[in-house]
Amino acid sequence: MPKGTTVLSAALDAGIHVPHYCFHPKLSIDGSCRMCLVHVEKAPKLQISCNTAATDGMVVKTDTPAVLEARKGVMELLLVNHPLDCPICDQAGECKLQEFAFQHGRGYGRTEDVRRKAPKRTEIGPRVVFDQERCILCRRCVRFTAEISGTRELAVLNMGDRSFISTYPGQPLDNPYSINTADICPVGALLSTEFHHKLRVWFLNETPGVCTSCSRGCNVNVGGYKDRVWRLTPRRNDAVNDTWMCDHGRLNIDYVNDERRARGAALRTATDGFEELPFALAIRRLADWVAEVKAQHGPQSVAVVASPQLTNEEAFLLRRLVRDVWGTSMLAVPVPMGEGDDFLVRPEKAANGRGFADLDVPGASLDQVLDECTAGRVKLLYVIGSEMLSVAGEARVRRALSGVERVVNHDILPTTISDHASLVIGGCTWAEKSGTYTNFEGRVQAIRAAISPPGGNLTEGEVFARLIASHGGASEHFDADRVLRAIAASVPAYGSVTPEAVQPGGVATGDAAQPAA
Amino acid sequence: MPGSVITVRRDQAETLLARIYLWEIVKGCVITARHFWRNLIGYMIGRRRTFVVNWPEEKVGYSPAFRGMPVLVQMENGAERCVACGLCEKACPTDCITIFPEEVGDGIQRRPKVFDIAIDRCMFCGLCEEACPEEAIVMSRRVEVASITKEGCLWHKEDLLTPASELPIRLGHIRNGYDRSPN
Repeated sequence: MPKGTTVLSAALDAGIHVPHYCFHPKLSIDGSCRMCLVHVEKAPKLQISCNTAATDGMVVKTDTPAVLEARKGVMELLLVNHPLDCPICDQAGECKLQEFAFQHGRGYGRTEDVRRKAPKRTEIGPRVVFDQERCILCRRCVRFTAEISGTRELAVLNMGDRSFISTYPGQPLDNPYSINTADICPVGALLSTEFHHKLRVWFLNETPGVCTSCSRGCNVNVGGYKDRVWRLTPRRNDAVNDTWMCDHGRLNIDYVNDERRARGAALRTATDGFEELPFALAIRRLADWVAEVKAQHGPQSVAVVASPQLTNEEAFLLRRLVRDVWGTSMLAVPVPMGEGDDFLVRPEKAANGRGFADLDVPGASLDQVLDECTAGRVKLLYVIGSEMLSVAGEARVRRALSGVERVVNHDILPTTISDHASLVIGGCTWAEKSGTYTNFEGRVQAIRAAISPPGGNLTEGEVFARLIASHGGASEHFDADRVLRAIAASVPAYGSVTPEAVQPGGVATGDAAQPAA
Repeated sequence: MPGSVITVRRDQAETLLARIYLWEIVKGCVITARHFWRNLIGYMIGRRRTFVVNWPEEKVGYSPAFRGMPVLVQMENGAERCVACGLCEKACPTDCITIFPEEVGDGIQRRPKVFDIAIDRCMFCGLCEEACPEEAIVMSRRVEVASITKEGCLWHKEDLLTPASELPIRLGHIRNGYDRSPN
């Protein structure tokens, strides 16, 4: 136990439940809620465990009658002015005030006074709403803006029972990490505008996953219900994102639930319309086309542009399919670049660019592939995902695509590429498949399917496996765990990466495996 | 005769008459015809001895505790009482309720955007009514809700809304039963 460890941290690490509101493992100590009172032997009064240093030989009791009575008292005072609007509060179900009132509260109120009235909805920022009646003044949000985001928008104004949380005039809570304040709020005072009045949280299936908006790979819980992703919330991983995530990554889920998602597969007809066909036939058709083009023009006339949002397992199968089975080196993996910051956001705006590099998947640059397309030397282009649009620009992609006879588009949404495509195959997002991603520092982290794909779409891995099979390879269904074992066996850097080891915090490879200097 | 037991001996050889079977059919027809004529004549002379309800022309009265299909209570201004808290959805043992909330006006209050009851799955247990903190979903006296299509069995919010004035018996009954107001 390091010096300076508090009694509360030590208790929580040892699995002893001590109720608390203002304490947060990643924020400074505040000691304002008084909920974590414990009995320390030889101390005259009960002590708040979050601000009492643990020492050798210390005897702490968390369940003496005095402690239980003190908790009841604290709960009663917190509830005196708390509104009874749990049925319409988004926090209900994951609210610490509800939980501790149930576990430690008295069960009835003794006051007859009218509860305090306060503004029920203040838009304190573009992405966060504030309900002042529900606030218990634990000041977690104030400390977050002071210590983590460093933007200091929030403060406690006034004193005593008139104090309230507020932004400074003309300075809304508008930093790239603002919704974290809603996460750490133990009650329903700060809420995400996006999720406000959307769904009761107890209907959500929280599947552990990884955010795919940049190469940081923040650990998240994917809240799925009725085949929609309703929200992402950060999941604690001290090696990656502590307990935070950026607003952009959190809100970047609309495309998963988009009505226009490609369902099934479709073939362009002679009259320039599309005709649906079963996946098996679409895969057969693509395999036939590749064989035909290879026989006439050689393997290099087949090119592939793949999305860096594919998992390691899919990347591994894609490499086997394109480089070994099809025998072409024209495989580009464009990684979109954007702005990063010095906290979590990384400039690479894709989840798995590092994984593709580690598995040695790319055989050509996007420029090479597009130039060959424009020159008319590529006869069949298989595009997975639409990253090349943002990397190379619409105009250049359109020029390149018009030089190709057959474009096969394997994507989740209609784009410029699918306008040019002869065959469209509906894809899956990260929410619908299982596998692993490698973040920018080489940490391999697992995702699990949270919802089922629209229209019975096959995962990309399943399509690649069936393509390999239709070219005479071993016919087996795509099983992410089995492919991961194959990766571990054939890629030295991934030797320690097994399906068991990647859960739940991930496995460090490469630079990340080296101890910090 | 309560308590008397008839032992059926299937292994015993049946009589010739029973094995011919035709006589047994005639016996059955006679019983049915006797009930029919007795009932018809009783109906014509106004002295029926058999208890028959000529549904749907005739209906029986139900007790105040009777539970028909759940409906949404509509207030006088036309809005629903429901705040889409989802407690009935959670309480429902057959999972027949689907609710998606939406914000109303100032963004503080809420109401159901979607409130669907799959009435073919509903078992009229009344747990939704008991869970409701707003007296917004109550068991009506309506039971004739059969449909020949799956879609016809899915009742949406507009179909479920019923003015409170049409539900006085049940509202009075649940206020006696599990009143949520203080004291």
